[in-house]
Amino acid sequence: MNKTININLGGIFFHIDEIAYTKLKSYLDAIRRSLSDDPQGRDEILNDIELRIGELLSERIKSERQVINEFDINEITKIMGQPEDYAVGENQYESEKTYRSSSSNKKLFRDNEDKFLGGVCSGLSHYIGIETIWVRLIWLVLLFFFGTGILLYILLWILVPVAETTAEKLQMKGEPVNISNIEKKIREEFQDVTSRVKDGVNDVTDSLKSSEFKSKAKSGIQEIVDTLTKIILAILTIFGKFIGAILIFIAAVTLIALVFGAFSWGSVEVLGFGTEFVRYPSFFSDAILPTWLLVIFTFIAIGIPFLVLFMLGLKILSSNVKSFSTTTKLSLLGIWIIALLGLALTGINFATQQAYDGVHNNTQELPFKVQDTIKVKMIGNDNLSNQRELRRRYNYETVFDKETEKLYSSRINIDIKSTDQLIPFIKIRKESEGNNRLNANKSAEAIDYIYGIQDNQLLLNGYFLTSLKSEFKDQMIDITIHLPINYIIYLDESTKTFIDDIQNVQNIRDIDMSKNYFKMTEKGLTCLNCDTTIFGDEYRKENDHFNLNIDRNGVNIKVNDGKKDAEVKIDENGIIIK
Amino acid sequence: MNIENTKAQMRKGVLEYCILSVLHNGESYTSEILSQLKDAKLLVVEGTIYPLLTRLKNSGLLSYRWEESTSGPPRKYYGLTENGKLFLKELDSTWGELVEAVNLVTTHKLTKK
Repeated sequence: MNKTININLGGIFFHIDEIAYTKLKSYLDAIRRSLSDDPQGRDEILNDIELRIGELLSERIKSERQVINEFDINEITKIMGQPEDYAVGENQYESEKTYRSSSSNKKLFRDNEDKFLGGVCSGLSHYIGIETIWVRLIWLVLLFFFGTGILLYILLWILVPVAETTAEKLQMKGEPVNISNIEKKIREEFQDVTSRVKDGVNDVTDSLKSSEFKSKAKSGIQEIVDTLTKIILAILTIFGKFIGAILIFIAAVTLIALVFGAFSWGSVEVLGFGTEFVRYPSFFSDAILPTWLLVIFTFIAIGIPFLVLFMLGLKILSSNVKSFSTTTKLSLLGIWIIALLGLALTGINFATQQAYDGVHNNTQELPFKVQDTIKVKMIGNDNLSNQRELRRRYNYETVFDKETEKLYSSRINIDIKSTDQLIPFIKIRKESEGNNRLNANKSAEAIDYIYGIQDNQLLLNGYFLTSLKSEFKDQMIDITIHLPINYIIYLDESTKTFIDDIQNVQNIRDIDMSKNYFKMTEKGLTCLNCDTTIFGDEYRKENDHFNLNIDRNGVNIKVNDGKKDAEVKIDENGIIIK
Repeated sequence: MNIENTKAQMRKGVLEYCILSVLHNGESYTSEILSQLKDAKLLVVEGTIYPLLTRLKNSGLLSYRWEESTSGPPRKYYGLTENGKLFLKELDSTWGELVEAVNLVTTHKLTKK
């Protein structure tokens, strides 16, 4: 039993059963698709065809009550021809050819019949073989997360052609490119080979019987080699597609990251997030070109190569993908070179900023008296720095000084030297680099450093501030306290890490010097209260009656009470007592 | 290269010329054109002809009119336009030259063998 449907075909009334109806309908639909080259004429042609089919069918029917069945439709199709036979046009031969060769070779097209914007998503879904809705969802997610799905979409829109002809539509919708299909393809190829080898062997045995052995055997082997080549090519193609997919993935991710980066970099300030949100490298802030231009240049310099990579990947995946036109290619290359040049020039300019060393000296007398014990203390500023401990560091920290962003550094060296003047003085030597001597000196002078005096205390800032632009200029401060003879100085614990190679009589190392009293003597700075365990390699102690000398050679003690000399000497030769 | 394909292409190439020639003798409706071409074995499947007819009509070489039929729905009768006649004349001479040329080449090939 079968349901029947009433149809009107070319003005004639027919009873047709359901199966035949579906068949006829899909046949007409297929013709409609294959005629899509010529959309104006299409309806007219279809009308004519329907008329003719109606005529043919009415010839076949004996009585009005007869129902058209599947067989009738098959016969009609035989007379009328396959949908492809309807296609006319100058490129018909070609399109037929690609259709045949591509039944197993799917290509990426945009689907204009199922589109939201450009049909990119539906085209992709045909290619991967999943429902369009999923592809669209992924795109939507990309849109919300980075807003950069747009860029990829536009790229694909430009690069991927629309499936226009029937052959292209078939290629677009062919079997999806997935693992099971790839496996199937390989299996088919193998079966092909085995059958060919069998045929080859049969040929050989056949030809053994006949006398044409030589030539036939050759062709048999030739055949095997051909198929092997085919298999290897198939495997290479699959491998290539895999690489293509990876290329696309990498390039897409990079482009997305770049757009994301460029947008946040370039727009944060504009959007009013404030600068604490992003920190430009000093390369950007001290450059000859404005920041936004540098952001764009960086984006272009990195982006264009990845764009090319993206296209390469697409081309590997699907051979029908359009290339950029020569003009586009050349202008891309041009823009890229400009961006590179811009960056290079900025880079050179930036590098020359460090070409010269500049110095700024400031000497001031210290109002201390001989009887005072000068206490040296380093002062930190908890409101500026995040570092818990005040110590010498060689890096920079970005801090806010009354709402201005500045660079904070604690690269300060402290030295103590003797002076023959009567009053102690302090010399603050600021150093910086610059692109010429004058700028370097200016930059050194611009270093913001202060110290204070309170009672007997010399309060030195344990940090200095510079403007943000001066990162990488190697700023540092050398502080030298010049003491006249007999002045006593106490080094507070806070100075421990700032002490830099202070020459002293006992050769005490820098790290051991803090928390001790020192007196400036004729011989140099001498520790008054130090434990002998911290004395350096050489130790010398002498007065009118006594002379002690410890060094690499050994120990030498001389005593003189005005009348007699006594000497004890310990060295590599042993102990000598005189 | 597919031999069937090549044959089909060869036939398609002269099909337009043949349609015009059939209509040279007067107006015909589609089925008549079809049967003439099929008898001459120029046409394997009927489908091919519809797009061609529409194209010829659209380029002004053919015109058609509807005529009531006793045995069914109205029929489409095609005829040559003035342009179509000129076109056909041109094609006639081209075809003559072509046949001569092809003959010359192919007989030359035969004699060479």
